[in-house]
Amino acid sequence: MNTIIKTENVTKVLNRGRPNEVRPVRDVSMEISKGETVVLKGPSGSGKTSLLSLVGCMNRPTSGKIIVKGKDVAKLPERFLNLIRRNTFGFIFQQLNLINGISVKENIMLPLYPTGSGFPELKKRAENIMDKLGITHRKHFPVQGLSGGEQQRVAIARALINNPDIILADEPTAHLDTKLSGDLINIMKLLKEEGKTIVIATHDPLIYERDFIDRMIEMRDGKII
Amino acid sequence: MGKHIKILEFALSSLWRRKYKNLGIIMVFTLIVMTLSSILLLTYSFKREAFAILKGAPELIIQKIRAGRHDFIPLSYTKKIREVPGVGKVIPRLWGYYYDISTGGNYTVLGTFRGIKNSINVLKGKFIRHGESGVCVIGKGISQARFAEIGDRIPIKGADGKFHSFRIKGIFGADSNIITNDLIIINPEDFKSLFGIENNIFTDIVVQVYNPSEINNVAARIKALFPDTRPITKKEILRTYDTLFDWRSGLVLTMFAGALLAFVILAWDKATAMNAEEKKEIGILKAIGWETSDIMELKFWEGFVISSLSFLTGLIGGYIHIFFFGASIFSPALKGWSVIYPDFHLMPYINPYQIAVLLFLTVIPYMAATIVPSWKASITDPDVIMRG
Repeated sequence: MNTIIKTENVTKVLNRGRPNEVRPVRDVSMEISKGETVVLKGPSGSGKTSLLSLVGCMNRPTSGKIIVKGKDVAKLPERFLNLIRRNTFGFIFQQLNLINGISVKENIMLPLYPTGSGFPELKKRAENIMDKLGITHRKHFPVQGLSGGEQQRVAIARALINNPDIILADEPTAHLDTKLSGDLINIMKLLKEEGKTIVIATHDPLIYERDFIDRMIEMRDGKII
Repeated sequence: MGKHIKILEFALSSLWRRKYKNLGIIMVFTLIVMTLSSILLLTYSFKREAFAILKGAPELIIQKIRAGRHDFIPLSYTKKIREVPGVGKVIPRLWGYYYDISTGGNYTVLGTFRGIKNSINVLKGKFIRHGESGVCVIGKGISQARFAEIGDRIPIKGADGKFHSFRIKGIFGADSNIITNDLIIINPEDFKSLFGIENNIFTDIVVQVYNPSEINNVAARIKALFPDTRPITKKEILRTYDTLFDWRSGLVLTMFAGALLAFVILAWDKATAMNAEEKKEIGILKAIGWETSDIMELKFWEGFVISSLSFLTGLIGGYIHIFFFGASIFSPALKGWSVIYPDFHLMPYINPYQIAVLLFLTVIPYMAATIVPSWKASITDPDVIMRG
């Protein structure tokens, strides 16, 4: 299988040289293949989210290499990282990070605004995804008025609008009940069937005990164990 | 193009999402621009008005100075001044100030002289004929203060302690109010009788100079001829007006400086203090693939919409305040502390240079105050911003 993500001795140091210095990620090396669904498992503070951020080019490692689709992204200039984030990754954040005050459809189309695509194209893509995730009837609603499960679907739709190769999900079931978690897992399965590479940071057994998970990487104190 | 339109659209929706905060900024910003533009427009209009009216004023005036004080000038000076090369007509004038107890105002009383009708030609009613006694022409301010109209009589207490009564023959119109508001013009003989002035002495002498480029030379020659005189050129008078209005506008600016400063600090604080939500929003946009330049464009549009809207509203507000409501807020300070305030209609005029200065002093700092913190946030890694 083709390796799509590879990390080599990645370390992240925060507050370097200060009394409150911490190392959320320590010397992590791993490989994830294209189409694989991987869970980063570990307790709170184990470094799962930090590793996910580093892999998703949302933060830079203090040392080590992060290779995404064959390119070392650790030292790339900011504007290239933006393009990689836009074209390669779809993020599903723990806090969802939707923009309140604008509609479901606008939230979903937001990643496409800087691409310069015409409005009919944006609308078509947004409506396809909303159909797929069953939120079309809510498209004109402001996101803050939706239920937790609906908000989660909007966040997933936004992550998918650019048709990314890799989906990064940080504690996606953290704010969902069992039924909604089940719905989310079904969506993940669909994405896996479409050939997406999925990396999920979680300590929820509802996810990591499912059979669609190919592999688990367990973390503790910033290290892979 | 599609990208920029979408970013502009999102900027407008962002402004709407924070409408109460933005409305507050727009109101404060508008008030600042309105205050500053009112002062600038009013000062500039005063100057234009004064300069337009003084256009027909004499090029050179000779006053006699005694111990540094303005004194009456003997008629004999005119003969010698006429002999100075380059000098045309030489006209002695009579004028003086009169404090009116009944209204508490200071009037300027002027004896008619040759050519006066040409220098103040904005007369309503009729002007005094040559040699006509017991009549006067007054400014609009005096007419209003005294409730006097054409045909009424106006009593003025003379140097002899008796009241001298003058029939009003004409009233100056509002167009020349800045100059004529407190003016009373009477016959020279009446003037002498009123103020108890001897024959053959005058207040000053107006000198016509044929060649305008020779005015300073002629003034120097007269000064050499009569060392006890002070030649005053029209340029000096214009410069004095210029300084006077600059000084007054500076005074008003100083009066409002404290309030303006408070407004500026408030606006600055509102504009620069990016709250956690705004920072997080920048982080989200970065995380979903927006570039720093896209976020800068977004913040530019936000700042541009607020500042241009406030600037235009403030400018229009200032314009209406000055030219339609007679500058009711600042006029007492800018016109002077007289009991008889000139009530005149300023000709609407906007100086592009002043607008550019105002734009530079208000819009540019606001744009900078908006964009710089956003730029700082947008060059930070999205994960760091979103985590706060």
